[in-house]
Amino acid sequence: MHEVAIAESLLNVAIDNCTKSGHARITGIQVLIGKASGVMPEALLFAFDSMKPDTIAQDAVLEIIEVPLGGHCSSCRRDFEVEERYVLACPHCGGVQYSLVKGRELSISEMEVE
Amino acid sequence: MKLKVTTNILTANEKIAEGNEKIFADAGVFVLNLMSSPGAGKTSLLEQTIIRLKDRVKVGVIEGDIAGADDAMRIDALGVPVVQINTGGACHLDANMINEVLGDLPIADLDILVIENVGNLVCPAEFKLGEHMKVAVLSITEGHDKPLKYPVMFQESKALIINKIDLKPFLDVDVEKIRRDAISLNPEITIFEVSCKTGEGLDAWVAWIETLIS
Repeated sequence: MHEVAIAESLLNVAIDNCTKSGHARITGIQVLIGKASGVMPEALLFAFDSMKPDTIAQDAVLEIIEVPLGGHCSSCRRDFEVEERYVLACPHCGGVQYSLVKGRELSISEMEVE
Repeated sequence: MKLKVTTNILTANEKIAEGNEKIFADAGVFVLNLMSSPGAGKTSLLEQTIIRLKDRVKVGVIEGDIAGADDAMRIDALGVPVVQINTGGACHLDANMINEVLGDLPIADLDILVIENVGNLVCPAEFKLGEHMKVAVLSITEGHDKPLKYPVMFQESKALIINKIDLKPFLDVDVEKIRRDAISLNPEITIFEVSCKTGEGLDAWVAWIETLIS
């Protein structure tokens, strides 16, 4: 449900980036959404599309790239990536001494402007 | 043309949260963001905590709800400063809502400010308010599957309060599983089992809070 607030913020940040770069229109926005970010891509897309009319992003197509959860295990020293929204232990060795390196993203990576 | 940008979507909120952080630092107040699903007992925990703390520690409260002022009235009855925010539908508090009410509280006089977030296990975990620490409350009537179903909340929290522990004999809930899963998600989390009805476990929680603000 907080996707509406996130879409609003996304729209503001994108419009800000566009005008600061001296452009007048946004035609595309690519965002990275981590699987562990708690954001549902479909809900974000729906919220974004309902908020973009009457802005310089009204024709913008939102492309969402989902980023899987990944980490590095300090027991077996290997990197891992999982499909789930959380990690409880290193999938290689079962160790719990790991650090997450990706999967919490909530950012704009690229924009198409005119 | 293509514009290569890497901008956090929640930049605006995080900037305001940083501003709040500075206000809290200047006022010398420790700020706690209390989160749970509706009915887990956030306000009851707050009442019991205030009763045990208020002779030694100056407490202030910001209440966040979609509608109504019931929670603020309960806190007001204990004689501590309180402000009610009504989000009017939003499922979480954001940094700007907090910023707007800070002028209504004597924050420079407070030792601790507790922000009671909107009852929701999902959204509040995503929005920084400028707090020093997030605390999650989970009541055992909600079931032992909650940490794995709502991992972000438990990963973000410094402490987990397992409430309504007095009901354990009447429920099939596996409290050990709650502990195990919460620790697996967040090895640093400190867990307290309490009952706001019987008072069990509350002294340990209150003592822990006091170590943070002293």
